[in-house]
Amino acid sequence: MIESPWPEISFEDRIGTASFNVHHTAHIVVDGKVCADCSTRECIVACPANLFVPTSDGGILFNYEQCFECGTCYMVCNREGAITWNYPEGGYGVVFKRT
Amino acid sequence: MIGVCLKWVDRRPEPAGVGGGPDQPDERFAGVSAADQAALEWALRQRDLAGGEIVAVTVGPAAADAVLRDALAAGADRAVRVDRPFGAPSRTVADDLATVFAEATTVWCGDYSFDRGTGSVPAFVAAALGIGQALGLVAIDVDVAGIGALRRLDGGRRERLAITGRAVLSVEGGTALLRRAPLRGLLAKPVIDVVVPAQRIDAAHPADARPFRPRPRAFAPPAGSTALDRIRTLTAAGATVAHGETVTLDPPAAAERILSALREWGYI
Amino acid sequence: MPDVDVIVVGAGPAGSCAAIVLARAGKKVVLIERGPFPGSKNMYGGVVYPRILDQLIPEWWLEAPIQRWVTRRSTMIMTDTKALTIDFRSQAWGAPPYNGATAYRPDFDAWLADHAVAAGAELICSTTVTGLLHDANGHVSGVVTDRPDGELTASVVIACDGVNSFLAKQEGLYGEFDAANYTLGVKETLALPKDVIDERFGVRGTDGVDIEIIGCTGGVNGGGFIYTNLDTIAVGLVLKLPKLAAQKQRPEQLIARLKAHPAIAPLVEGGEIKEYSAHLIPEAGISMLPTLAGNGILLAGDAAALCLAAGIWLEGVNFAMASGMYAGQAAAEAIRSKDTSVAGLAGYQRRLEATFVLKDHRKLRRAPELVLSDRVQHLYPEFATSVAERMFRVDNPEPKPGVRKIVAQERKRVGIRRRDLAKDGLAGLRSFG
Repeated sequence: MIESPWPEISFEDRIGTASFNVHHTAHIVVDGKVCADCSTRECIVACPANLFVPTSDGGILFNYEQCFECGTCYMVCNREGAITWNYPEGGYGVVFKRT
Repeated sequence: MIGVCLKWVDRRPEPAGVGGGPDQPDERFAGVSAADQAALEWALRQRDLAGGEIVAVTVGPAAADAVLRDALAAGADRAVRVDRPFGAPSRTVADDLATVFAEATTVWCGDYSFDRGTGSVPAFVAAALGIGQALGLVAIDVDVAGIGALRRLDGGRRERLAITGRAVLSVEGGTALLRRAPLRGLLAKPVIDVVVPAQRIDAAHPADARPFRPRPRAFAPPAGSTALDRIRTLTAAGATVAHGETVTLDPPAAAERILSALREWGYI
Repeated sequence: MPDVDVIVVGAGPAGSCAAIVLARAGKKVVLIERGPFPGSKNMYGGVVYPRILDQLIPEWWLEAPIQRWVTRRSTMIMTDTKALTIDFRSQAWGAPPYNGATAYRPDFDAWLADHAVAAGAELICSTTVTGLLHDANGHVSGVVTDRPDGELTASVVIACDGVNSFLAKQEGLYGEFDAANYTLGVKETLALPKDVIDERFGVRGTDGVDIEIIGCTGGVNGGGFIYTNLDTIAVGLVLKLPKLAAQKQRPEQLIARLKAHPAIAPLVEGGEIKEYSAHLIPEAGISMLPTLAGNGILLAGDAAALCLAAGIWLEGVNFAMASGMYAGQAAAEAIRSKDTSVAGLAGYQRRLEATFVLKDHRKLRRAPELVLSDRVQHLYPEFATSVAERMFRVDNPEPKPGVRKIVAQERKRVGIRRRDLAKDGLAGLRSFG
């Protein structure tokens, strides 16, 4: 495959270019019990904000803070009840500037 | 009257006004700090308990009306904007606020703003009104009889205050979460009184407005025969670190000592 | 009596155009936006075609917050090492009345919403609509928001609440949900000096470039794009959700792969990422279209899945603006005739059917599936670029082969059946012809 000729920035730096007005409660809730026996884990590769992180004990760690509110995760997830998806409270969440 | 001071600032994380005075905030990204929001919430709680009229005040251009509209929607009774360009010096802002708050029993402020302000406005307001001040409150208990508060001191210490008379209080953002404005509040037509101060200051005072930049300090070349020694000297690695100094001086000499230290460290 | 005549949910291009029309018709309209300002949640693949705005804001180009006018439009077909580009430019597109433009959506959408406010609409930001209210007959009668005392009633609700439209789903206007109907758009906005952009893309002043790319998304079906803003460029991908989820490369890794392509690297090199963003796109065209009207409710924009992703035509904002405008007209008409039932709101569907909004979608109904099909995505780029390579390669002392011979040989080598090629060609002709 093609190799990048210049170093890519870290994901933290990448996501840091977008602004987020973080609310104190999570707008998306992931039920780790449902994820525990999921072997496909589409969310990990598909979430553009890389919010789904596999844990060593076979679970999924989910962070809601830097979420684009796009909806990819609940659309690709094939486990009923794993993801409870809502928009954040009005005024909170991602704020785009140059898109 | 219960006063609330709200500073309209750019809430974006990147520093505004690099290389000069503060930029005019981008209206879309402007708002008030969490501390200012907490100040408004405490004013609302105080009124709900003990009654009174909440007057929310900002000092800024017409675009700053946005923060007053939000305050009215959340429950403030009256809103006043003192019309000044963005970035007026703290002293001027405080004098403007004090004019509106001449009759206020309590004035609530946030203890910091987003744009790395000096946090000096509350103290200036208290001085201009000639009333007490309790700044940097980390916990508050509003009661019909008065206000109990916990104030942050240096070194992790706390001071417990019982506030009964007129006072300017500045609060940290974590002390209270501003209630969400009801939908009807947002749909109501806001009325904002605009005060045009007699003495106009159109440009920010440069010394007040610049972002904090420590002055460069000259160092003598480090002593040592090898590069490693010189680096050790330069970084004071391995040396016993001096934790400040304690001196006993009379007030004028103490003030002079503080100023000289600040000058040495590049703050002034 | 309801609180207001119309509630428009979402102050994107659809919502603002609906609100402009209604406010100008003298209706009391409230425009509710969940972001702190209109456009703050919005992201797109780069080009807006505002022709429809001629009907709402004459000479809009004098005031719209446009980055560059697209005077150069390229379609690139690539494999990992080859690229075949069809490059068109027209100076006519760089002068009034213009054609396509690049813009930052937080600027453009906020500008359009300002027009709604100027027309008399009430804009309420930072407020998420969480559900619909219904009257005794089951007609939509208003919305519930996430604010205290947050219910508001209206004669008509126009849901312009975007691709995830929970309002449309709550109302049962969507059929069976299928992730295959959606693509994920991911994008990097890269800062480069204006003169560097001008030089690399061969443009001057406010002239701009839009490049659409096929064959650049690895094993995932989709496409790519690069376009110029004034002092930034945007590079991004559109990725079909089930395919993205079924492989191992993350979206930003796929962008990095595109940026490293020999045809793309010289354009984007040295650009500093200013913003990384992502958004879903309803991409299946007419086949995924929901029911567009219910009793007391209309859908417009992405909420109605009105996004045209037909390969050589990639449009969305214009469909949003037009559908919003027609929804506003239909709602005003229904309120005048005091019938806001689905029958009273039938003017909406009628207007959409009579104009490009549904005509284009009906004409191009086969296009989205064709463009995202495995053959178009993974076989035809190799086929087309190898044919070009063979045609332009000088194999002396071998004589030049005829084009027909090259095509036949390459088709066989790449493994495309003649029957499939004919079938796809016919589908293409039917769609695009």
